[in-house]
Amino acid sequence: MRLTDSQRQTIRQLVIDELGSGSTVKLFGSRLDDSARGGDIDLFVEVDAPVEHPAQLSARLSVRIMRAMHGRKVDVLLSAPNLNEQTIHRLAREQGAFL
Amino acid sequence: MSDSPMNGRPMSDNFAERLGFLKRVVEREIHHLRYSSDSVFASPFTEERAARLGEDEALAEKLEAYTSRFCRLQDTTGDKLLPLWLRALGEKTGAVADNLDRAEKLGVLDSADKWLEIRQTRNQMIHEYIESPQVLADALNTAHGYQETLIAFAHAMLSDAKRRNLLE
Repeated sequence: MRLTDSQRQTIRQLVIDELGSGSTVKLFGSRLDDSARGGDIDLFVEVDAPVEHPAQLSARLSVRIMRAMHGRKVDVLLSAPNLNEQTIHRLAREQGAFL
Repeated sequence: MSDSPMNGRPMSDNFAERLGFLKRVVEREIHHLRYSSDSVFASPFTEERAARLGEDEALAEKLEAYTSRFCRLQDTTGDKLLPLWLRALGEKTGAVADNLDRAEKLGVLDSADKWLEIRQTRNQMIHEYIESPQVLADALNTAHGYQETLIAFAHAMLSDAKRRNLLE
């Protein structure tokens, strides 16, 4: 996983801050590959309660994390009990690694 | 102050001419965006409507126009007008987020973070990719809710340029 301990801690903290302690965050995509370089930070965030504004929420969280990562591009994929499960959710859940 | 539209700046910069051109582009983009916005959001854009996009070709086409017009105006304003306006003011330009922070400090944009959030929301406005009607409807309503802020940002830079005689 190509994130430092301090970056992982920052991301976890921002997710909890935004979504509460019932949320989890996994890294998936190219940043899991230790032999690759650079690339976006793809995060899979699962929350245990329904969310009212899923698009706004994932955008806000992406921007907060992006700012904390000094402008590195961040994409948050959100999973919540009231949202349809898409193929990408299943892949991220299976392949992702907890931060 | 010089009466020249170039305002004493080097001819090679052509700020007045380039700002004048972008003003015309932005005004056309706003005009077309408003037309599409009136058509798509005449009734609330609900999850039910989002879920119908696969079969409702007319709605899908209207929405396609709305999203591409919205995205185009955000790109013209943030990626073209903003850096040109900053340079015309003698400000340094850099990454998009830095330029937006500068715009917020200079008082033409309410929130750089909100702008970036809307930029991020755009990925979730494309119905061919987003299979969740809740996410799609929320993304589209969020963009629509931001539309007047986006227009106000473009107008604020253009009015400022006009006040400083930077606009032809």
